[in-house]
Amino acid sequence: RSMNAFLIVYLCILISKALINTVLKYVWQSEPFRDEPWYNQKTEPERKRNLFLQALTDFLAFMVLFNYIIPVSMYVTVEMQKFLGSYFLTWDEEMFDEDTGEGPLVNTSDLNEELGQIEYVFTDKTGTLTENNMEFVECCIEGHVYVPHVICNGQILHDCTGIDMIDSSPGGSGKEREDLFFRALCLCHTVQVKDDDSVDGLRKNQLSKPCIYISSSPDEVALVEGIQRLGYTYLRLKDNFMEILNRENNIEKFELLEVLSFDSVRRRMSVIVKSSGGDIFLFCKGADSSIFPRVKEGKIDQIRSRVERNAVEGLRTLCVAYKKLTAEEYSCAQKLLQNAKLALQDREKKLAEVYEKIERDFILLGATAVEDRLQEKAADTIESLQKAGIKVWVLTGDKMETAAATCYACKLFRRNTQLLELTTKKIEEQSLHDVLFDLSKTVLRHSGSLTRDTFSGLSTDMQDYGLIIDGAALSLIMKPRQDGSSANYRELFLEICRNCSAVLCCRMAPLQKAQIVKLIKLSKEHPITLAIGDGANDVSMILEAHVGIGIIGKEGRQAARNSDYAIPKFKHLKKMLLVHGHFYYVRISELVQYFFYKNVCFIFPQFLYQFFCGFSQQTLYDTAYLTLYNISFTSLPILLYGLMEQHVSADTLKREPSLYRDVAKNALLRWRAFIYWTFLGVFDAVVFFFGAYFLFDNTVVTSNGQMFGNWTFGTVVFTVLVFTVTLKLALDTHYWTWINHFMIWGSLVFYIVFSLLWGGIIWPFLNYQRMYYVFMQMLSSGPAWLGIILLITVSLLPDVLKKVLCRQLWPTATERIQNASRHCREHISEFTPLACLKSPRYRSSDCSHSPARRSNSHSKKMMFTHWRGIDYSVLPSVFGYSNKQGRSRAGYRYSGSGLETSV
Amino acid sequence: MKNKTNRLPQEAGARPSRCPDNSAFKQQRLPAWKPQLTIASVLSSFFLIGAFCLLVGICLILSANSVREFQINYSDKCSECSKLRENTSNWNKECHCSVNFTLKEDMLGDVFMYYGLQNFYQNHRRYVISRSDAQLLGRSVNIEKSYCAPFTTYQNGTPMAPCGAIANSMFNDTIDLFYNLNSSVVQVPLLKTGNSWWTDKNVKFRNPKSYNLSSAFAGTARPPYWQKPVYLLDEEDERNNGYVNDDFIIWMRVSAFATFRNLYRRIGRVRQFVDGLPAGNYTFRISYNFPVSKFKGRKHVILSTVVWSGGSNPFLGIAYVVTGTAATLMGFVITAIHLKLRKKKTYFQK
Repeated sequence: RSMNAFLIVYLCILISKALINTVLKYVWQSEPFRDEPWYNQKTEPERKRNLFLQALTDFLAFMVLFNYIIPVSMYVTVEMQKFLGSYFLTWDEEMFDEDTGEGPLVNTSDLNEELGQIEYVFTDKTGTLTENNMEFVECCIEGHVYVPHVICNGQILHDCTGIDMIDSSPGGSGKEREDLFFRALCLCHTVQVKDDDSVDGLRKNQLSKPCIYISSSPDEVALVEGIQRLGYTYLRLKDNFMEILNRENNIEKFELLEVLSFDSVRRRMSVIVKSSGGDIFLFCKGADSSIFPRVKEGKIDQIRSRVERNAVEGLRTLCVAYKKLTAEEYSCAQKLLQNAKLALQDREKKLAEVYEKIERDFILLGATAVEDRLQEKAADTIESLQKAGIKVWVLTGDKMETAAATCYACKLFRRNTQLLELTTKKIEEQSLHDVLFDLSKTVLRHSGSLTRDTFSGLSTDMQDYGLIIDGAALSLIMKPRQDGSSANYRELFLEICRNCSAVLCCRMAPLQKAQIVKLIKLSKEHPITLAIGDGANDVSMILEAHVGIGIIGKEGRQAARNSDYAIPKFKHLKKMLLVHGHFYYVRISELVQYFFYKNVCFIFPQFLYQFFCGFSQQTLYDTAYLTLYNISFTSLPILLYGLMEQHVSADTLKREPSLYRDVAKNALLRWRAFIYWTFLGVFDAVVFFFGAYFLFDNTVVTSNGQMFGNWTFGTVVFTVLVFTVTLKLALDTHYWTWINHFMIWGSLVFYIVFSLLWGGIIWPFLNYQRMYYVFMQMLSSGPAWLGIILLITVSLLPDVLKKVLCRQLWPTATERIQNASRHCREHISEFTPLACLKSPRYRSSDCSHSPARRSNSHSKKMMFTHWRGIDYSVLPSVFGYSNKQGRSRAGYRYSGSGLETSV
Repeated sequence: MKNKTNRLPQEAGARPSRCPDNSAFKQQRLPAWKPQLTIASVLSSFFLIGAFCLLVGICLILSANSVREFQINYSDKCSECSKLRENTSNWNKECHCSVNFTLKEDMLGDVFMYYGLQNFYQNHRRYVISRSDAQLLGRSVNIEKSYCAPFTTYQNGTPMAPCGAIANSMFNDTIDLFYNLNSSVVQVPLLKTGNSWWTDKNVKFRNPKSYNLSSAFAGTARPPYWQKPVYLLDEEDERNNGYVNDDFIIWMRVSAFATFRNLYRRIGRVRQFVDGLPAGNYTFRISYNFPVSKFKGRKHVILSTVVWSGGSNPFLGIAYVVTGTAATLMGFVITAIHLKLRKKKTYFQK
């Protein structure tokens, strides 16, 4: 993107160069002895030409002469780099999914470098973060925890029907409660049984074959399946009798009397059943918040703690309670229900009242925990992304609680995350205006204190905020108002979002997802957004975001087909962004900058030469050199660099997500870098030209007294140019494979061979032989050799010096990692003190490649914060020894504060 | 700096067909050399470069100091001739001029005589392309196709040989050198061949094939500013005549800048000039033909010796010394910074 801006700058430079030269030419020519000296006369038509026309021709001629400054070949190289580079993504073995046999797909190679620039990730929940596959995890009865046996990818193994009881000695009443609990779970649902083949088949295989359950809620299916594994199988609902196969393989029949169906306000459901013994039970299951207040008996505290623990782990918890009804109570309840159901007005309200009356005075049985299994390593991925400074937004159609639980599970929200809710419920209580202002006040006060804290260098543990917003509230914010205050709300909302580390948007319609993406995309920083999803409902958001990624998942290929990239699993996003994206960005930015640099080096001597040749558009280099410079002398090494460069190893990038921040916000293609490269190019060009100029300055450069002409001069400059530019790339290369060696040294050798050949023969098809033996004569002159070596050294030294100094004084995280990894590898004494400070930690965490340590994410996290803490305390005093560096420290702080907000 | 080879173990077969190859290249795991800017390598390279540059620089300066060069601006000294040449109509009037000078020290070794021109834009584009290399190769070509205009043909259609502005403006002063030894005047022997590149003389410039030179150039005419046709450039030496005349070849190699010098003669090392030019009084006798005052140019005649590092150009030596010093200084600065940072670090570790 910045390439185009750079191009415009170069276009301006080109035009201004041509203009300057044209003007100077006419100033210079104003004296007739210069315009047309006796030795250099014009032809008749030239003399007669109109002055204006002549000036225009001259201007255009200068444009042609300097056009190489606009690197046309860059576009070709960039396209090739992108196209070929995207193969590395498809080839990546780690991103290949063994289960589905799918690898990543690249539908466009245009966005490779954007992968290294992502600031916002919008992800779908179901199917993307989770596997869309519910799993019964445990149940807790009276404080005893029951865990079903082995679970493999959602498939129940047939031989695992036993119970794994943590405390397997329940007392007498415990036993009774346990039976009740299981029956409750078996009965209190709205699951339907689908007979797989036929009723006959079902009967035959009752014992071993799991029935296929269908329900509107995957949780219920998971529960029933889980109970099945604990020994109670729900067989079917037949003639209003529910049949259960209990642990002793006896079929129990319960008559289903009433279903008090689920609704999201009550957040519970109940059934009233009559056992074969004639007892009437009311079983209720529901969210903890709706059950506990209605319980009068049971081990509430134990269960509550268990439930809370499960919720924190991101499990979807339900509590189960029961009540034994006497016949009178039942008939009373039935009457009430009947009345309510038959009511013509306010039926729902009345029903709710009746439910309220009936569902009380429960005896708490226990709780269940169901997991919508997260995709493997989803939490790790999200954590890495957040560490990499990427804000992760979850956009889902699910309800808030579920979504929030998932967010906790995948560590989008952490325990210390303070949740800000912007939901319909809250807006009903207050006006939208007030809510927004309250929230922004909270957040902004926090961020204000944050910057101060980071400046003092002490804040390491800080409160971060998570925002939860639902679709209705969002549409309120987005809705245009007559009085034009909507923009204000939008700004406010964006401000809040910007200060939240994680945002959860629930109850989103597909179009709203796109709307959110668009809102962020068009906000004033113009961040690069990435949307990832698997289903058709994510397509709009995938299309809207800068980079759209589809998961090749269960819900068809619609998302994958509409995306820019498709990956098999969410976890692959980590490698895609942190490794491939980072590489692509580093590579392409070097490629772009280098292209500009080498063309400045190439053409600026040409410009300088005009001042010495009477502004006559005389070329400095031979035509062959002009043509081949960008095509064959200098193009392949940079293309190879663009494909192969790894400034740090892929493993390190994966291990240290924070390195992603080093390239965030287009860090390597900022104007500062661009100006640096341009000035480096100009400096080198000046060195080439004036170095050769003084070398040739009206003196003999050979040891046999013979003189060199203008083509030798051009060849000297060009030789220095080709070598400098290639060696500069060699200095920038951190990853020398044999291909790099081959290309870099190969193109230098090619240049020499070509020059020897080009000057070695009288070429019959050319009408000029100006290069004949020029190169050889140059090589035969000792001073020319010395001059070339000197000029190459001089033009490379400043860049090396700059690199060394920057590395020592203001090392970036990447460079510190480079040092550290070197340090670890070699166990030699340090180069950068920071690296040394950290190196013991590195050695323990990273260099010992023990899988046990790596899997221990907690200790790693601790390590990370520890490391960060050290950094912040060390930096100020290390850099605080001169005023000049104080400024750069402030710059570092600034970026530091930027990154702290999003952790 | 260490080679790091981390090639994945090649797992044999047993992979799904769509699984990508596990080749080192495709997994971007080719074994690679990963150089790092370590303090040791940086400092050693800086100091090495510094030492090398200083050494070379001092050698260059010493050798450049042994070069003797003597230069006279004779367009100023022969002001009458300069004035005469300013008027084009006097082009065929001869003008001779003598310039006396004294060499205070001997010029030992090979002594080269150059003529130097100032403000003569040989590198002007219109000038540079105004030649026909094919013609100079002795081929019979249609020079109308070349860029020789306006020095291609006369109005009657006779082609110029050689054509083009470069050839037309060939330097045509004759300079002789005399050694005044005790009131007797000795002409210093000057060698007029062997001054051009061997390849130019033997490959790039060829006379048209014919039984003699004047017939070879039959049907062509001399360039307008020449006083004699090309086949009379050197009547004494057949191999230095026509296109292969050394003076002509040297002139045809256009210079890079408007101030330049071309090799004119070498001093023949015979008799009292075996060791070069002894100190004493000398006279240049110049047949002044080449007008320079019209374009505010100057003409020099230069006597110079040459060493392995070329002529008397101090630039290369000085530049080497400066670079060497700078590199060494940078090395010290880096060391200082490094030590300072290390001190801080030890402070922090306490």
